[in-house]
Amino acid sequence: MADVMTICPYCGTGCSMSLSVTDNKIIDINGDPTHPVSEGELCLKGMYGFKHVADPGRLTTPLMRRGDSFVAVDWDTALDAIADQLGVIKKESGPDAFAVFSSARATNEENYVAQKFARAVLGTNSVDHCARLCHAPTTVGLTMTLGDGAMTNSIPELGDVSDLIFIIGSNTAECHPLIAKHVLKAKARGAKLIVADPRMTDMANKADLWLRIPLGHDIPLINAMLHVIIKEGLQNTDFIRDHSNGFDDLARAVEDYSPERVSQMTGVPATDIAAAGRAFATAKAAATLYAMGVTQFSCGTGNVVSIANLAVVTGQIGRPGAGVCPLRGQSNVQGACDLGALPNVYPGGRPITSEPDRLRFEEAWGVALSPKVGVKITEIPAAILAGKVRAIIVDGENPMMSDPNTQHFAHALEKLDLLVVIDLFMTETARRAHIVLPAGGWGEKDGTFTNTERRVQRVRPAVLAPGEAKADWWIFKALAERMGYQGMAYDRPKDIWDEVRRMAPTAYAGMTYERLETTHGLCSPCPAEDHPGTPVLHAGGLFHTPSGKAALKPVLFHPISVPEEERKAFDAPIIGHIAERPDNEYPFMLTTGRRVYHYHTGTMTRRAPLLEQIGPEELIEINPADANALFVRDRQYIKINTRRGSVIAKAWVTERVPPGVVFSTFHFWEASSNEETNADNLDPLSGIPEYKVSAAQVTKSSAADAQASVAAKREYYRQDVETAAIVEMRAHAAASA
Amino acid sequence: MNRFVIADPKLCIGCYTCEVGCVEVHVKVGLVGIPRLTVTHTVAGTMPMQCRHCDDAPCEQVCPVKAITFEDRSIQLNESVCIGCKMCALACPFGVITPYGALPQGETSMTYGGFLQPTPAPVTETPVHALLAWTVGQRTVAVKCDLCHFLPEGPECIRVCPTNALRLVDEETVITSNAERRAASVEAIATGDGLALHHPGL
Repeated sequence: MADVMTICPYCGTGCSMSLSVTDNKIIDINGDPTHPVSEGELCLKGMYGFKHVADPGRLTTPLMRRGDSFVAVDWDTALDAIADQLGVIKKESGPDAFAVFSSARATNEENYVAQKFARAVLGTNSVDHCARLCHAPTTVGLTMTLGDGAMTNSIPELGDVSDLIFIIGSNTAECHPLIAKHVLKAKARGAKLIVADPRMTDMANKADLWLRIPLGHDIPLINAMLHVIIKEGLQNTDFIRDHSNGFDDLARAVEDYSPERVSQMTGVPATDIAAAGRAFATAKAAATLYAMGVTQFSCGTGNVVSIANLAVVTGQIGRPGAGVCPLRGQSNVQGACDLGALPNVYPGGRPITSEPDRLRFEEAWGVALSPKVGVKITEIPAAILAGKVRAIIVDGENPMMSDPNTQHFAHALEKLDLLVVIDLFMTETARRAHIVLPAGGWGEKDGTFTNTERRVQRVRPAVLAPGEAKADWWIFKALAERMGYQGMAYDRPKDIWDEVRRMAPTAYAGMTYERLETTHGLCSPCPAEDHPGTPVLHAGGLFHTPSGKAALKPVLFHPISVPEEERKAFDAPIIGHIAERPDNEYPFMLTTGRRVYHYHTGTMTRRAPLLEQIGPEELIEINPADANALFVRDRQYIKINTRRGSVIAKAWVTERVPPGVVFSTFHFWEASSNEETNADNLDPLSGIPEYKVSAAQVTKSSAADAQASVAAKREYYRQDVETAAIVEMRAHAAASA
Repeated sequence: MNRFVIADPKLCIGCYTCEVGCVEVHVKVGLVGIPRLTVTHTVAGTMPMQCRHCDDAPCEQVCPVKAITFEDRSIQLNESVCIGCKMCALACPFGVITPYGALPQGETSMTYGGFLQPTPAPVTETPVHALLAWTVGQRTVAVKCDLCHFLPEGPECIRVCPTNALRLVDEETVITSNAERRAASVEAIATGDGLALHHPGL
C-alpha cells in the first residue's frame, strides 16, 4: 500500500488529498491537514467520488465508428485515420475548418499541448474549452477593468482577514464547500456576510443580510449600492484618483439607480440595498465572491464589470482579504485559460493579435501562426451548419450535455466530417463521434492544476491507466508527428512545463517542478525562482491594464431594454437586459445550476455508487405557491418545457426558489436542463449563453410519463451504444491477450 | 444519560458528506446501506437529523419484538430481529427512523449498478404515506443512527464533516456546557448586562 498526494479532480478549490493505493487501485482518500486551503477536510465528491477511475466502463482501446456501432482498433490505425482525414480537410478547406475543445479537467501541460496542436499543427486559433460556458465573462470583464481575469486574493485570506464577505451569484456551500468553510471561519471571527441570490441557498440562509434579487438583476443592485456609496461620500477618493480612470462617467451612470428605484425593479427593500452599500464601503477588508449566478447571462460581462466597479470605487482591492473573487468550477479551468486554450490568447494571456507575441511563438514553435481570432465554443454549432467548421477534436469534454440547446448542438454534430473525442468514457458526445480515443484520467495523470486562487499545484499519478489508454499530451504529440510537425518532442509532462515556463515567463518562470514538489503550490504570477508567488493581485493599486490603472465602466440595465437616450449619454457603456423573458405562453423562468453531490454531466460522479445513491435523480425546485397552484406535491413528477425542449423529473417543493422560478441541473441525462437552455442569446462581449434564464412552462406530470420520457432520452443519448462499445472493447482485449 | 450526535445549523452547509460517510461505514460491516442521518433543508436553516437516543425512548417501548434496546448509553436497533412493522418510525417524535427495504448482507442497496444494469423496476406514484412505501421483493427493516458503535473512533459523520458541524453530546458535554452557562449568567448579572445571556452551545 502506498499513499500518493495529489489534487482533487472536481471544483476549482484545489483541495489536497492523499490517495491510498493497493494493487493499482485507489481504495481510500483522506484530506491533507497541512494544506492551506482544505486544512485536512474534503467534501463528499473529493472523498467518495473516485470510483470512476476503476469503473468497468472505462475506455481501454481506440474505437472507430462502423455504421451505428464502434469497432476496436489499434492506436496506429486510429491515429493514421485521423491524421489522413485532417490532412484532406486542411487541403480542401484550410486550417479554420478545424476546432479543438480543450479541457478544464486536463492538466496545464495537456492544455498547453492541445492549444499548441491547434495553433502550430492545424494552423487555427479555434481552440476553446468550457470556460466559455462558465467564466468567460470573468476573463473578459476583469481583464478589461483590472487587467487580469482571475481571483485577486487567496482563499485562506477570506477566513483569516476579510471582515465583510459579499457573495453574489455563488452557491458556495454546494459548489465550493471548502471555500464556504473559510466564509464560516470569517463569520466566527465576527465578519459580516451579505448574500445576493434569487435562491435561498445555504449561504443566503447564513447571511447577516440576504438580498433576494430577481434572476439577472445584479447590475441594478450593484449600481444602487454604488449610488448610495457615492451619495454618502463613502467612496475611496484617494484610491479612485491614483489608481483608476472613468469615475465621473460611472458616478453619472449610477445616479439613475437610486435604492428606491432599484427596489421597485427588484423587490429588495431600499434600506437593505443601502445597508449593503454602506457595509461594503466601510469594511476594513471586503471580498466579493461570485460564480455562475453572475456570469451565465447575456450581460455576464456587464455583471462582472459591475463587481469590479464596486471593488475599485471603495478601494476594496489589492490588499489581503479585499478583492474580487470569481470562484472557478473545475479543477483546472483557471489553468486552461492561462495556458491559452482560448481562441484569442496565447499561453500567458498574450493576445494573438499582438504581432511581437505572435513572432515570439512563431520562432519558438518553428511555424507561421494565424493572426485571426478563432471561433468560440458557443459559435461552433452555427459555424458547422454554415459549412465553415468540418472537423472537431473534443478532449475531455461532454458538450452534448454541457452546452446549451442540446438538440441544436446534436444537429450540428451530425454535419461534421470528422468528430474525434478523447475521453475516459463513452460519453453522450463520444457516442456521436467518428473516432474515440481512450485517455488517462485523474489519478493517472502527471502534471499540474491551477486552482481558482491561481495556485499551481502538482497532480500525481497513483495508478496506471487501463488498457491502452494514453495521456492526452501523448495523443496530441502522436497526431502532430503523423501530420509532419516535430516541435513536440516531449518525453514527460516536466518537459512541457519547462517549455511553458520559457514561453510565459512572467507567470511561471519561477515555478519549477522541484519547487512545486516541496510546497503546496505557488500562486501565479511567479516570475523568478526566488519569487514567493503572488497571493494578492494588484497590491498597491497596480493594475495590468494599458494605463496601469483600473478602468471603471458604466454598466446600464433594464429588464426589457435600456432606453436609447440613456445609452447615448455615455461613451461605450455596457448594456444589460434579460434576453428571454416569461410571457403568457411560457410564464415561468427556468434557472440552472449544480448540486453538491454530482459534478457537471455526471461522467465521473455518477460512477461513484455512494454519490449516485445520495443523488440518484433530478429534483426540480419549485416554490410551494406554484406547486399548490399546479396541485403538485413534493416528489411528484413535473414537466418543464421551453421553446427548445422538455424534461420530466420529480419536484422538490421548497422555498429555496422564489415564486415563478424553477431550478434544475444538467447532471442527469434522464432530465438534463440543457435540452431547454438557450444557445442564441450570447453575451456579445464574452460569448457566454444565458443558462440562467429561460422562459418555461411547468405542468404536472406522472410516473408513467416520466418513464416514457426516460426511455426516449435513453435512445436519444444512445445509451445502448455505450454498452455495445464496452462489449467490443472487452472482446478486443481478450483477443489481444 | 444517553449519548447522541447533533449538528450546529450555523456550521452545516448542507453538503451531504455525513450521509455518504454514514452509508460507507455501515455497508462495510454488512448493515443496511442507507444514511442514518438526513440532511434537512428548512427556511430557518439546514442540518442533518438523526436519532436523539432518547433516554425514555418511545421506539424502544413500542417495538413488539425487542429489536430496539438500551445498550451502552444509546438506543440500538438490531436489523436482523426487526420485523419491519414500522411502529418505531410512527412513534419517533423526530422522524429519524427510516423503514427501508434491506437487501441481503453484502449487497449494496443503490440504484446505480453499472453500465449493464437492466431497466429499473417501474416507478410508483407517491404512496398514501411515505412510511407505507415498499418495493417488490425487498424486506423492510427499520434503520436508525447507532452512533457507529462498531468504530473505535466513534461516529463517522463527525469525522468526515468538512465544517465540523457535528458533535457527540454526552454527560460530560452537558456538565461542561451547563457550567459555562452558569458562569456566563453570573457574569452577565454581575456586570449589569441583565439577562442578555450568552449560550455557548448546549
